[in-house]
Amino acid sequence: MTQTAGSSSPRPSSQKLMKLAVAGAALLVVAGGVAFYYASKGLKSAGSNGAITVTINDSACDPNEITVPAGRSTFTIVNKSNRALEWEILDGVMVLEERENIVPGFTQTMQAKLKAGTYEITCGLLNNPRGTLHVTPSAESEAEAARPALVSFIGPLAEFQVFMAMQANSLVKATKALDDAVKAGDLEKARESYQKARAPYKQIEPMADLFADLHNAIDPVADYLEKREEDAGFTGFHRVEYGLYAKNSLDGLAPVSAKLLADVTALKDRIRGLRIPPEQIAKGAGRLVGQIADTKITAGEDHYAQTDLADFEANIAGVSRMMALLKPVAVQAAPQVVADIDSRLTETTSALTALKGPDGYPAYDKVNADSRKALAQKMQGLAEAIGKLNAAVGLE
Amino acid sequence: MKLKLVLSVSLLTLAAAALPRMANAEVAPLDLVQPIADYKIYVSENLETLVTDTKAFTDAVKAGDVDKAKSLFGSTRMSYEAIEPIAELFSDLDGSIDSRADDHEKAEKDPEFTGFHRIEYGLFTENSTKDLGPFADKLMADVTELNKRVTDLTLPPEKVVGGAAALMEEVAATKISGEEDRYSHTDLWDFKANFDGSRKIFDLVRPLVEKEDSAFVTKVSGNFDKVDTTLAKYKTADGYELYDKLTEDDRAVLAAAVNTLAEDLSTLRGKLGLN
Repeated sequence: MTQTAGSSSPRPSSQKLMKLAVAGAALLVVAGGVAFYYASKGLKSAGSNGAITVTINDSACDPNEITVPAGRSTFTIVNKSNRALEWEILDGVMVLEERENIVPGFTQTMQAKLKAGTYEITCGLLNNPRGTLHVTPSAESEAEAARPALVSFIGPLAEFQVFMAMQANSLVKATKALDDAVKAGDLEKARESYQKARAPYKQIEPMADLFADLHNAIDPVADYLEKREEDAGFTGFHRVEYGLYAKNSLDGLAPVSAKLLADVTALKDRIRGLRIPPEQIAKGAGRLVGQIADTKITAGEDHYAQTDLADFEANIAGVSRMMALLKPVAVQAAPQVVADIDSRLTETTSALTALKGPDGYPAYDKVNADSRKALAQKMQGLAEAIGKLNAAVGLE
Repeated sequence: MKLKLVLSVSLLTLAAAALPRMANAEVAPLDLVQPIADYKIYVSENLETLVTDTKAFTDAVKAGDVDKAKSLFGSTRMSYEAIEPIAELFSDLDGSIDSRADDHEKAEKDPEFTGFHRIEYGLFTENSTKDLGPFADKLMADVTELNKRVTDLTLPPEKVVGGAAALMEEVAATKISGEEDRYSHTDLWDFKANFDGSRKIFDLVRPLVEKEDSAFVTKVSGNFDKVDTTLAKYKTADGYELYDKLTEDDRAVLAAAVNTLAEDLSTLRGKLGLN
């Protein structure tokens, strides 16, 4: 009757399961009764099938220091104090596992799957001294750390979805303001909203560029179009930018900004339904940083506003977020790779910050070749470091 | 009655937890990403409400407005109670925001007894805001800190899914008896919030479970509906009746529904491959 039994043995029929459940419940009632009997007699019950028994009296836990191997452990908590209590395993201030409302004189069992490390255990009243739980590495836990299970990526991927949803919301909101300003004929407000919309787009670019149709409508650069600025395919951000910063005019922009708003709204909806496999995070981040190093730094994208450095900053902020989300899962399997990515992210951010003047970033055409080359090298190093991550955590 | 409840809930939970994993083969881990992401947004929205409501509540306490503070107590707690599975992951803040007098050596007189229930004790038992200022400031600081920490927290999926049952166990153990809000008797507000929080989790993963076990989904929804209908009888213009208005019959209906929900929802982790 262990938790893993089902995964290795053929599935019993549901009828059988019901019987098992009933038998299990009955057994537990008996076991609970026995434990209660021993507890009320004040005897120490030896742990059957490897369960660790922790007795809590009015002022402490007995034993107060426990050692278990990493993986699944079962704890039997006996409340010998005179108050209802909860029993918790703490990692710093975080509760890893807990059993609440254990009534005086009663026993509860708790299963916990623990990683190697040292944890605190609570012992009754909030001001009672805490006990210590040592969890030692096991062969099983080492293997799992080296190749994290798919379930361990659920949390980071969900956080990434939240991050993208929030950026997409900001993107739609700022683009709406841009469209409104264009319609109202307010050039200054339009420029301001344009910049506000650009940053969230650049933060989620590694995922936004997965949708080829929207990417080509939202962010095409005139250089790649046959008739350049006169091309019918020249739409989206840079078309707006061309009007706002090269022509200093809102003429003809109303349909363009309206179309941009429709496209970023569609992007927001598609991102919500996006099912991202875990390897896509590092892959997308590495691909983007590689593109910056290879082409964007040389060619530039923001030909009219010259705001490429702000774009890069937003790109790197997004990449930082992506790496931070993977870190807790990846750090055990690949501490070196994670440390390398961390330090290269710091270097890249510093290189960008170093270019900032008192009024923020200079116009990109004022950034000389040496500075561009230095920045490209940082980006290249970062892309290579990120490129090693998937293999190191068993995602390739 | 309470002891029996606690025992039966915990035994059933145990029995469920000890069963072999079942019916999880068809739920792919990546199917859980969107529900967990949506739950994070739900938690964040509740925390925003909690911060706003706590500001109004603690302002009333500090202004010495006993009546206003009393009237805000029940509603302010709701956004905390709805997300308790996540809020209580931080043991220090859970202790300082929501511990009960019993958790402390000197009970109500213990200097470490802070948070909602300490203020509740002052407002409803002592009928005064005297000396509550520092507790109000501390509560405000703590919920602000909670909001900040949860923003940075990657939610553990097993805590989210397990939270549906944990909320029901919490209701069974401390709410059915009316001991949580013992000074104000606003337990039905907490009740409602715990149910809503549990149902939110269930609703988010429901499409994943429905494919394989539609009978389970129907049964659980039915019990949630039963609870909603029963609680609706006690709805007032600005909240809920006091706990002592709850009839013995309705208490029995709620207790039975809570127990069944706790039992059923405790299988959710296993069904979704998260044990």
